[in-house]
Amino acid sequence: MHPRAGASLSRRRFLALSAGGAAAGAAGLSGCALQVSTGVSGAGETITVMVNSGDITPEQVQQAKKDLGIKIVLVRYDITKLIAMITNGNPPDLVRGVGAVDAPFYAARDVAEELDPYFARSSVLKLDDLDPVNDLWRYDGRTQGKGPRYGMAKDFSQDSMYWYNTAAFDKAGVDHPSETEPITYEEWLEKAQRLVQRKNGQTTVFGGSYGGLTRATLMATMTASAGGSLFNDDFSRVDFTSPEARKALAWYIEYCRTKVGPSLIQPDPNGWDGPTYQAGRLAMSNSGYWMGGMIYPDKKLAEVSRLAPAPLFAGGTRISACQGGTGLWMPKKAKNKDAAWRVFEWFFGEEPAKARAGGGWGIPSLKSMRSLMPAQEDYQKRVLKAQENELKHFSVVSFTPYTRADAVDALFNQIAPAAMNGQISVDALAGRLNSSINEQLKRGKEQVG
Amino acid sequence: MTVGQISSVAADRPDAPASAGRAPAVGGPQTSMTARRHRAFYMFTSPWIIGFVLLTIAPMVYALWLSFTTFDGISPNWKYVGLGNYRELLNDSVTWAALGRAGLFAVTSVPLSIIAGLALAVLVNRPIKARGLFRTLLYLPAVVPPVGAGLAFKLLFDQNSGASNGVLTFFGFDAVGWLADPYARYVLLMTVLWAAGNVMIISLAGLQDVPRELHEAARIDGASAWRTFRSITVPLLSPVLLFQTVTGMIASVQTIMPLLLAPLGDTSGITTVPQSNYLYMMHVFAQYFALGRYGYASALLWVLFVLILVVTGLIFKFTSGVVFYNVDPEAKK
Repeated sequence: MHPRAGASLSRRRFLALSAGGAAAGAAGLSGCALQVSTGVSGAGETITVMVNSGDITPEQVQQAKKDLGIKIVLVRYDITKLIAMITNGNPPDLVRGVGAVDAPFYAARDVAEELDPYFARSSVLKLDDLDPVNDLWRYDGRTQGKGPRYGMAKDFSQDSMYWYNTAAFDKAGVDHPSETEPITYEEWLEKAQRLVQRKNGQTTVFGGSYGGLTRATLMATMTASAGGSLFNDDFSRVDFTSPEARKALAWYIEYCRTKVGPSLIQPDPNGWDGPTYQAGRLAMSNSGYWMGGMIYPDKKLAEVSRLAPAPLFAGGTRISACQGGTGLWMPKKAKNKDAAWRVFEWFFGEEPAKARAGGGWGIPSLKSMRSLMPAQEDYQKRVLKAQENELKHFSVVSFTPYTRADAVDALFNQIAPAAMNGQISVDALAGRLNSSINEQLKRGKEQVG
Repeated sequence: MTVGQISSVAADRPDAPASAGRAPAVGGPQTSMTARRHRAFYMFTSPWIIGFVLLTIAPMVYALWLSFTTFDGISPNWKYVGLGNYRELLNDSVTWAALGRAGLFAVTSVPLSIIAGLALAVLVNRPIKARGLFRTLLYLPAVVPPVGAGLAFKLLFDQNSGASNGVLTFFGFDAVGWLADPYARYVLLMTVLWAAGNVMIISLAGLQDVPRELHEAARIDGASAWRTFRSITVPLLSPVLLFQTVTGMIASVQTIMPLLLAPLGDTSGITTVPQSNYLYMMHVFAQYFALGRYGYASALLWVLFVLILVVTGLIFKFTSGVVFYNVDPEAKK
């Protein structure tokens, strides 16, 4: 029976039409998405860059259009959106990433473009000018720090260092830490306990914060400082029960338990140290050189602020790793790679890089730009001297390719509060962390193949 | 006029040849009118239907497919595992604990918010001065976006600088860690009660539908205010209360408020939610976006969907005898 004009629209026919409409709609939506992804929607070349707000300013976007003739479309960084775009074969042309943890993850999944051929022909980014921190973006299929380059750091800090406020130390009658020689983690905690100020159950001044960039990188770095390794040789397992990892874990749990600083069981509503340190409510802040960008504009604060070396464990190794190395990488399926590389060169080697270097928000990732780091004021010279001394102890602590740092953090955050509150022992915590994190790593290894 | 309409009009004419639009064998004008009404109905509803298919049915089917895989969104070697994720779920103590907390949250927050909303509705239904102003003020918190409300509660209940502890310490009490265990659950309940204006406004509409003569008759018969409320108002409000119970229950098990109260309200911070507030949807969110377990998280969502259907069915079943529908049962026939 043929449908006739003017006949009643049966439910079946209507559903068929709806399904057709839905399919057409989906195709339409997909078509729109493809149109965006081609990166050639404008008159000149257009690339999509996924970054955090502030990584690339609207003024810089205008500047790029003027200087390079390339239109940059900014997309706010969002891991769920990034995964959706990659899955759809429609990734941004450049993406923000944290070299210390993201480089092996994306490289192992074959979604990141090898950039060696681009570096080889670049007249802006020369290999011998790259700071060693950029090795965080190298991965040879087994080890981070070796093999092809997949990205580059925009700037960096040695994230186990800490800033301290001399006024808070003087008020509490605590000796200032040396700016060149590290104290031990035990001494750091002892100072924090003396610096913390409480009243009626409220903490008016935190003794110090120590949380690393992520819990995953903090534990890996502290374990390395204790002379061990959190991961096994092929990065497919963690072992928190090894003497070195246990030492690191026990120290961190003690830091949280004593509530000398912000932690999961005593959160800082600001979410990060900046405003709390600025308000004089934090005596020591576990932040690297980059926090100078926030401190320097406040001259009064800058004059009482000092940057100190990364602590070490008694008898341990003096290392000072970068836990970040945040920069950009290029997805393998980026649609406009040549234009993306030109923006990459501009962002890392031209005006934006010079502006960053002069702002004090990190150490430039090109050696040739070190001379641009702020050193006009005495306090800036002092900080720079401490930082230059610390660079001698720079090291790369490799991270696993089998999971994202977020996942390790998520599991850690879920399990560790019980130990922080004294409900379970550090040994019990170590066992539970091994069990849940290794399960996650096992799944990741199966997926990477 | 469209071709379809012309054909339809032609078919309606008594003298039209049978070939013109293939006139219906039975009916005539009556059938044509019905056809037009059907067509109009479907045309008007089709935007919603298409949206529903595209944005609800398709994602649900996709999520169902994902729940049978180890897909993580990005890795190349994901595989089909059949019911593996559902089997894992049965043995996952964290999942069951989160589900238990979500259930407990639902059975405490839903009655509390209904009672609070109803009490407010009764109050602002009375002939008092500035009644409109009170209604507006009480409803105002309900229109504040959850993100803003979460931020406000975080600042209000911060241990070291929050106003709540400011009051406590002013009166000589020690500060309380409201946003950490074991107090975080109470702050979460307060966020629900704070937005009781939603319940109030619906209850108020219900109250205004209660015939005044019934209350007058009860008063003449000597019934007390409480007895009138219990025996007349509540039964007549029962469909409204049922509606609020069902929608409140569904909303409460899907709440994201704990995340907004967490120390880090982002993807990596999902598990910084204190354990007492680590509800089922927090667990789903963590599995999806922190651990990248799209397959397992999709299985969790499908289980939740089925559970909501079952619980909703049970609520309807157990309340069928106590809910008073003010309609003629014969009208359906």
